[in-house]
Amino acid sequence: MSTAGTTSADPTMAAQNYGLIAAFDTAPALYHAAEQVRDAGFRRWDCITPFPVHGLDKAMGLKRSIVPRISLAGGITGFCTGMSMIWWTGAYDYKLMVGGKPLFSPMFAFPVSYELTILFTAFATIGGMLVLNGLPMHYHPVLKHDQIRRGMDDRFFIVIEARDDRFDAAKTRALLEAAGGLDIKELEA
Amino acid sequence: MSTSTATLAANPGATAASGAGASRALMIGVAGLVLTAVGFFISHDSHAVALSYLVGISFCTAIAIGMLLLVLIHHIFDASWSVVLRRQFEHGFAAFPWLGLLFLPLLIGSWMGTHDLVWPWMNLNYDMHGTTVGEDILYQKKSGFLNLGMLTGATVAFFLSWVWLGARLRKASFTQDQDGDIKWTSMNRVTAALGIPMTAISLSFAAIYWIKSLEYHWFSTMYGVWFFANCIRGALCCGVLIMVWLYRRGDFKGILNPNHFHSIGQLMLAFTVFWAYVTFSQYFLIWNANVPEETFWYNLRELNHDGSTNQWWYVGLVILFGHFFIPFFALLSYRFKITHHIITKIACWILAVILIDLCYNILPALKDEHGDSLPFLSMNLVWVLSSVVGVGGVCLWAYLRSLPTTKIIPIRDPRIVECLTHHE
Repeated sequence: MSTAGTTSADPTMAAQNYGLIAAFDTAPALYHAAEQVRDAGFRRWDCITPFPVHGLDKAMGLKRSIVPRISLAGGITGFCTGMSMIWWTGAYDYKLMVGGKPLFSPMFAFPVSYELTILFTAFATIGGMLVLNGLPMHYHPVLKHDQIRRGMDDRFFIVIEARDDRFDAAKTRALLEAAGGLDIKELEA
Repeated sequence: MSTSTATLAANPGATAASGAGASRALMIGVAGLVLTAVGFFISHDSHAVALSYLVGISFCTAIAIGMLLLVLIHHIFDASWSVVLRRQFEHGFAAFPWLGLLFLPLLIGSWMGTHDLVWPWMNLNYDMHGTTVGEDILYQKKSGFLNLGMLTGATVAFFLSWVWLGARLRKASFTQDQDGDIKWTSMNRVTAALGIPMTAISLSFAAIYWIKSLEYHWFSTMYGVWFFANCIRGALCCGVLIMVWLYRRGDFKGILNPNHFHSIGQLMLAFTVFWAYVTFSQYFLIWNANVPEETFWYNLRELNHDGSTNQWWYVGLVILFGHFFIPFFALLSYRFKITHHIITKIACWILAVILIDLCYNILPALKDEHGDSLPFLSMNLVWVLSSVVGVGGVCLWAYLRSLPTTKIIPIRDPRIVECLTHHE
């Protein structure tokens, strides 16, 4: 079922245009098309595939994720929290001598700090991943595309957003066509 | 072992035959062994030289055991990325018979004379806090386990089991190169299921007999695990050195990609944390319980009888920072893990600190007339290094001699394609 009347010439539709979607039949076709989109300098675009295509991140020109840095920050925060919490409770706020040990020692604060390092690293990793992916996301324009379910089955898609500085309805469509894109459609925002 | 591998790694013009490298390694090894032997006979303290040799042979044996465990673990998990590396570890198993042979002098020395060449408890007349070992109730209770026959028998059994497992894994893997039969993979999986508990038990008891029993009053349930952590860390570091060396030589060009280095680097990081976990746990429980039967072991490594700090306290700090913090933060970086010259430096660093860790566990058993541990910086370090070069040179020779006898990678392993296209 195709949505009738959506042409690129219609100015009112263009205002709500999310971008262009192109279909590909095989993973290699998608891979090489992605390389061309990357080389054309687009930044706001994505690939939709039914399974992970190895090496696609390179073909898309994606950098390594910054999630590990967020994890490290979380870990350091957790470690410092553990150390200062044990110091504050046992050696500052309510001085308590236990088993003839000093009021504070990194030795007995270590297990707590270590557990909090892991806990905060896990929170930072999950949280960082969710934020960077823009999750949770309840709506995405590609969901309106009548073919999109095949993206979970046997078809591959490239979506280029109209927000991208290099986006030009006619030129971008030509680029996708030249790259082997099939059934190129405009997506409603 | 590390020293010689690093020397070779810096020489990209090494011939494919490895023959010249093998004979050079053997010459260096024999020179190291001869130097140690000379030290043993001229030194006024043959006990110190024997313990230094124990450090050297434990170091090399630990690395070989680590390689064995990594291959066994590889098979039990049906791993794919490590197929190429596994072949190199299989060549490493060629060192086991020689390690067993090189351990013999310590056993022979223990059977001769007053029996306390290496392990003081073997001499029942050995002075122990004003009494003798034979009259010490703690020894008497443990004598069923701690006696010359048991240690000899156990050590022989350990080496036989490692030689047997290594030979079995080698045979299956090398034969599969010829006939491509899947049954060899299944056979290795069975060997792994059997070999993992066998090796876990043997390496734990080896650590207890060879190293921990030097202070037989002491006890720690973490000891075998601590040794295991060092075994795996040493083997992973040697794995990295071999990978970089064969890559530079050209054999592994087009075979290894950055993801292989990333994967082994991740294991190095994981076992850095694991080592720290068990080592800290051992220290922390003893520190917290604060009972003299256990704390004396650490006191020997911190204080003299007059309360002054001894050298081992600083060695302990070197281990804390050098064996954990520095490798931990270095290995967090993705770039460091995949950059050959950086991961090589990290691997050499960890190998050096493993050796220091073994010194820390073995050498303070040498004591002066006050019962204080003899200092770390002493002539003993020369014997430690000559032993490592000696035993390591022989191990390297065994590895290099085995290397050209098979294909550089197991071309008919069912997982080889997955390995060659390894990705994150």
